[in-house]
Amino acid sequence: MTQERTADRPRVDAYEKVLGRALYAADQPIAGLLHAMTVPATIAKGRIEAIDATAAQNVRGVVRIFTHEDFSQIKTTPAARGAYGQPGKGHQPMTSPVVRHRGEPVALVVADTLEAAIEGAEAVKVRYAPEPFSARMEDELASPEAQPDRQLSSGDAEAAFAAADHRIDVEYLHPQQHHNPIELISTTAAFEDGELRIYEGTQAASAFAGGLAGMMGLEPTRLRGVSPYTGGGFGQKNGIQEQSVLVASAAALLRRPVKLVMPRGQLFHTASYRPRSRHRVRLGADGQGRLLAGLYETVQQNSRYDGFACDHGANPPRMYGYHTWQGNDRIVRVDTQTPGHQRAPHEHPASYATECAMDELAEAVGMDPVELRLANDAQSDPITGKPYSSRHLAGCLRRGAEMFDWSRRIADPGALVADNGDLIGLGVACGSYKGSMTATVTTLRLFASGRCEIATSGHEMGQGIRSVIAAELIEILGVDPAKLDIHIGDTGHAPQHITAGSWGTGSVAPAARSAAMKLREELSVLTGAPLSEEPVHVQLARTRRPSLEVTVNTIPLGKDAQIIEQLRRGIPSTTGPEYPDFMAFSWIAHFAEVHVERSTARVRVKRVVSVADCGRVMNRRTAESQVRGGVVWGIGAALREAGETDPRFGGVLNNDLAEYVVPVNADIGAIDVDFIDQPDFKLNMSGVKGLGEVAMVGAAAAVVNAVYNATGRRIRHLPIRIEDLL
Amino acid sequence: MTDPQDTQFLPLTRRQVLEAGTVVSASGMISTATAQAQTQVTTSPSLPENGTTVHIACRVNGQPTAIDIDARASLLDMLRERLGLVGAKKGCDHGQCGACTVHIGGRRIASCLTLAAKVNGREVTTIEGIGSADGLHPMQQAFIDHDALQCGYCTPGQIMAAIACVKEGHASTPEDIREYMSGNICRCGAYVGIVAAIEQAAPQIERG
Amino acid sequence: MRSLSYVQAKTVREAIEAYAAAGEGARYIAGGTTLYDLMKLGVERPAHLVDIASLEGADRIDTSGDVLFFGAGALMADVAENDVVRRDYPVLAESLSKAASQQLRNMATVGGNLLQRTRCPYFRNGAIGAYPCNKRAPGSGCAAIGGLDRGQAVLGISNACTAVSPGDWPVALTAMDATVEIQGPAGPRSVPIAEFYRLPGDTPHLEFEIEAGEIVTGISVPKTEAGRNSTYLKVRDRESYAFALASAAVALAMDGDHIRQANIALGGVATRPWRAREAEALLNLRTIEPDIALAAGRAAFADARPGEHNAFKIELGARTLADAIMTAGRKMQ
Repeated sequence: MTQERTADRPRVDAYEKVLGRALYAADQPIAGLLHAMTVPATIAKGRIEAIDATAAQNVRGVVRIFTHEDFSQIKTTPAARGAYGQPGKGHQPMTSPVVRHRGEPVALVVADTLEAAIEGAEAVKVRYAPEPFSARMEDELASPEAQPDRQLSSGDAEAAFAAADHRIDVEYLHPQQHHNPIELISTTAAFEDGELRIYEGTQAASAFAGGLAGMMGLEPTRLRGVSPYTGGGFGQKNGIQEQSVLVASAAALLRRPVKLVMPRGQLFHTASYRPRSRHRVRLGADGQGRLLAGLYETVQQNSRYDGFACDHGANPPRMYGYHTWQGNDRIVRVDTQTPGHQRAPHEHPASYATECAMDELAEAVGMDPVELRLANDAQSDPITGKPYSSRHLAGCLRRGAEMFDWSRRIADPGALVADNGDLIGLGVACGSYKGSMTATVTTLRLFASGRCEIATSGHEMGQGIRSVIAAELIEILGVDPAKLDIHIGDTGHAPQHITAGSWGTGSVAPAARSAAMKLREELSVLTGAPLSEEPVHVQLARTRRPSLEVTVNTIPLGKDAQIIEQLRRGIPSTTGPEYPDFMAFSWIAHFAEVHVERSTARVRVKRVVSVADCGRVMNRRTAESQVRGGVVWGIGAALREAGETDPRFGGVLNNDLAEYVVPVNADIGAIDVDFIDQPDFKLNMSGVKGLGEVAMVGAAAAVVNAVYNATGRRIRHLPIRIEDLL
Repeated sequence: MTDPQDTQFLPLTRRQVLEAGTVVSASGMISTATAQAQTQVTTSPSLPENGTTVHIACRVNGQPTAIDIDARASLLDMLRERLGLVGAKKGCDHGQCGACTVHIGGRRIASCLTLAAKVNGREVTTIEGIGSADGLHPMQQAFIDHDALQCGYCTPGQIMAAIACVKEGHASTPEDIREYMSGNICRCGAYVGIVAAIEQAAPQIERG
Repeated sequence: MRSLSYVQAKTVREAIEAYAAAGEGARYIAGGTTLYDLMKLGVERPAHLVDIASLEGADRIDTSGDVLFFGAGALMADVAENDVVRRDYPVLAESLSKAASQQLRNMATVGGNLLQRTRCPYFRNGAIGAYPCNKRAPGSGCAAIGGLDRGQAVLGISNACTAVSPGDWPVALTAMDATVEIQGPAGPRSVPIAEFYRLPGDTPHLEFEIEAGEIVTGISVPKTEAGRNSTYLKVRDRESYAFALASAAVALAMDGDHIRQANIALGGVATRPWRAREAEALLNLRTIEPDIALAAGRAAFADARPGEHNAFKIELGARTLADAIMTAGRKMQ
C-alpha cells in the first residue's frame, strides 16, 4: 500500500484498443452469421395497413422478412426499456401495426449477406394510414402533463424575489441533442452453449437477461448479455434498444445467429436522445449579491408512452446558498421516440440555464462572476438542510481562476481584443453531479503464478473503468497490471448493473478494494500469519495452493441486501444524492476563453480550464481525459449540436454526422484540467465521487458567458451559431 | 409457456443448436482469413455472395488475397465481414466520421465509401498490419502515452489517419495536425491527446 | 442498393463503350464519394457501374503550358498539394484543401467533384423521410420551401428548388473561368464552366450540362497573374470537415494599387457556383479598402431571396466575400 493516491498510469485496456483488438459487439466472430436490416417507418404516426414483401422475398440471398405479424407475441414489460425503469405503457415497434414515431422499424429483413439484407429492406413496400401528430412541444397536438414531475421549495421564494434589490427573469431554450457514440448500435443474437447470447454495445448487459427474457417469455438464465467493450455510450446504451428483441426473436425463429448494425440515420429515430427543454430562471439578490431567491421552472418534451421524468430542478438549488427556492419541472408529450439520459442528462441543461442566469445577475449586481459564486458558497443543502459530504467548489473556483488568469477579464463586453482583431471573451460557470453508487458482485482470484482475475459489475465505454479496478488491486495487492484479467460487461461473469450516472467508479472501486482486502485476510488465514511485504502471489505459492478466490457483494451506503437481488434481475437501483446524514455531489468550475471573429462571427474556444472535485482521483491520466471529453461535449452543446425537427414531418431531419454537427479536432483548443483530489470517505471506502458527468456540467455555460463577454450579446438558446452574432 | 414464440424457441435442445452450428460451419468461417500462412494466397472461403460478384486480387497487410465479392460491397464490409479484419470500424457508413480509415497504396481513405471492387490490384493496410513483429507502431505507443483515446472505437481509424498525416507532411504544427485530423471524429473528445500523440510520434515516422 | 455489375475501364473509349453496352441504369463511377454515398441512401440506384477512376493518363496534372490542365482523374489531394497550384493559384489549392477530409480528398477526383450533388437534407434523406423533392423525384414538390431552410440557397433559387450547390472547387473554377473538357460517343467538346451548371428552374433534376454517356475528362484553367492574388474563404458550422454556409473565391488582377479586374464566385449560398459579376464591376479600378470590399459583398447579394431561416446568409455571404477580397488584396504586399 505504498502507491501514491493519484497515480498516472497508462489506461489498462489502451493496448488492445490501439491494436484494434478490442472486440466490440459487431466485431464478434460468429460462424454462419445472418445479416439483418430494418425498414424504417416513413410516417410520424398512424397504422400499417399492408406490407408487401413480395419483391423483397425475391431478392437473392434474403432468408426471411419479419413484420409485426411475426412478433405480436413479444410482451412489452415494465423492464422492457431497461434502464429507464420509469412507469409508462411503453412501445415496442413491430409488435402491432401501430406506428408511434417516424423511423421506427416496421419490418426486419434477414439475409445471407448485408448487401442482400439492405436491398431486401429497400424493396419492402408498406402502406400506411397516417394520423395527425405533433413532434414538438410548441405544436398543436402536443400534450402538457397536468402534474409536475418534481417540485422543490424552501421558504417563500416569490416574496423574496419581489423584495430583492436585483432581479433576473430570463428564459433559456435547450435544443434536442443526440449522443452519437461512434459505435453504431448493433445487436447480434447467437445460440452458444445452450444459451442465447446478445452481443450489443450496452451500458446494461443485465437488461438483456432481465428485460429481453421477459419480453420473449424466456427464463432469464437462458440469456446472456455480452459487452466487454462499448464504443461510447453517454447514456444512449442504457437499456434495451428498439431493435434488440427483434433481432433476438429473429435468431430464435430462424435458429441462426443474426446481426443487425443499425444505420446512423435510423439511430437518430430509434435510440434515445436529450429532449428539448425550456427553462425560466428568476434570481433575486441583495446589494451585496447574496442570493435571496431562486425560482426555476422547466419543461421538457417526452414521448407519448414512456416515463422519462423532467429532472432539471434537482441540482440548481444545491449549487449556492439560496435563502429561498422554488422549482418545478414538467413534461409535454409529443409524437417521438422516448428521450433518455444523455451525459449529464438534466444537470447540463439546468446548469446552462442557471449558470448563464448567474452571469446575468453578476452583471446586474456589478460583481465579478467568480466573486458572486464565492459569496454564495454553502456547506449545506438549502432544501433538506443536510450538510454536503464534501464540497470544494470554492477551491475549484480559486484554483481555476489562477490557472486561467481570470484577473485579466474586463466586465465590459468587447474590451479585450486579440492581435488579429478578434474579440476575446472570458467566462466562468460551475456544475455539480450527484454522488451515486450501486451494488456490485465481485469475484477475485489470485493465482500463485502472479496472475490475477477479477469479474465484477460494470461496463467499459471509454471512462476507463478497467483502470479504476486495476488501481485498487495494484494499491491493495501490488498486482502487475500486465497479469490482470478484468471481466466486465458480461452477465456470464457477474451480474451487470447499468453503468451510468457516474456511479461506475464509486461502485466498482470499493468493490475491487474490498475484494482485495478480503483476499488479503483469507491469505493471512492460510499462511497463519500477518502478510509480509513480499508479493501476495509468492506468499500464496508458499501455501502450495494454486489459487485463492473470494467473492464480495458490495451494498452501497443506505441500501440493504435486497439491492443485490435487484442487480441480478437487471433492475436499476442506485443511491444519492441524498443519504441519511448528508448530500453528496461532485463539483466543478470551468473557465472558457473564446475569440469571436468580428466579420463572420465565428466563435473559437481557444482555451478551457476545468478544476473538479470528484473525491479521490483514481488515475490522473484517464481522469484528465474524462474531463477533457466533458468539456468537448460542453463546447459541442454551446456552439454546434441540435437535432432538428420539421414539424410537418416529425423525426430528425439532420440525421447524420455531416448535418448533426459535433466538434472535430480543429474545433478544440487547449483544455487544462486539475483536481482537488480530496477523498470523500463518507461516501465510500475508496473515497471517490463521480467524474464523467460533472465534467460536462457548466462547460457550455462557461462558453456562453464568454461569448457574452466578447460580444455583449445574451443569446438564450443553444447552439449559438453565426446567425446569432452577425 | 403457450405462446408461439416460446414453442418456437424453447424446444431447441443443445443438440439442435450444435447441429445448426455444424451446418453453419460448413458454409464458412469468417475468422479463417487472419490465420492464413504468410506465403499463401488467402482465398475467401465459400461465403455466400449475392447479386453480381467481382473477382478481386489484392494485398491486404502484405498478404496476397483473392476473393469473389458482391460488386456493391464496400471495402469496409469486405474487411470486416469477409476477411475477419474488424479493426476498421463502421461509425457512419457515409464517409462522415473516419472510423473506417485504412490505407490504399499508403494513402488514407474511407473504406466505407470505397467499393471493394476498386482495390483489385492494390495494397490495403489496416490497423492489423502496421505494428512490427516485436511490438507497437510508434503511433500506437504515442496514443497510449498521451491517453489519446477513451472508448477506443474510433482509435484504429485515428491511428491510421495519424500515420498518414505524418507521412503526408501535415504534422509539422499543432494547427496543421488539428486540421488534417478533422476527418476523424472522436465523440469521447480525446482530441487534445491525439494532437499530443502525433507530435510525439511524428519524428519517429518517415515522411512519404 | 440493388445488385449491380461493375467493370473497370482502362481508356476513355473503353469506358464509353462499356457504358453504351450496359444500357439502362449505367453510371460512371470515379472516386465514388458522391455516387456510392447516394446509392447507400437509396437516392441513386444504378444497375451498372463503369469505373473510370484509373483511366490511362486521367490523373495528369500539367502546369507547363498556357493553361493549367487537370486530368479529371487527378485526386483532389494531389491537386491541392501541387506546388505550382499552391504558389500561383492559391484559390484553387485552398478550395480543395478546405473540402471534406483528407481521406475523401484521397478518393475523390477533381473531375468527379464537378458533379457532386446537393446536400439538401430533403433530397438526401430518402429512406426515413421520402420527403417531397423535385430533384430526387421530379414533380413531387419541394419540402425545403417552407421547411427547415437554414442551409438552403438565397441566390438562383426557383419555386421548384432551393438546394445549394455544395462544392468548393467548382466555385474556385468558376471564378477562374475554367473550361470543362468532355468526351462522349459523339467525340470531345469543351464547356465553359459558367455554362456547365444549370439553374434549377422548373427542372432541378437536370443539374449539369453533360449528356448520358459523356465523361468529364479534364479541366483547363487559363493562366493569369491574378492567380497569385487569390484566395478561397469558407465559413461553415465548424472549423473543418463541413460544407460551406458561405464561401467566396476571389482573384484580383492589379494595376499598381488599383484593381484592374476582380474575378469572384460564391459558394454555399446559391443553387450553382455563383459568379458575382456585380461585385466584380463594383471593384473595377478601385483600391482595396474594407468599405469598398463590403460594398462589393453587398452588391453580390442584391438579388438574394431568403427563406424563413437563411436570411443570415445574405449578410454572412457579403462579409465572407469582403474578407476574401481583403485577404486576396493583402497578398499583393
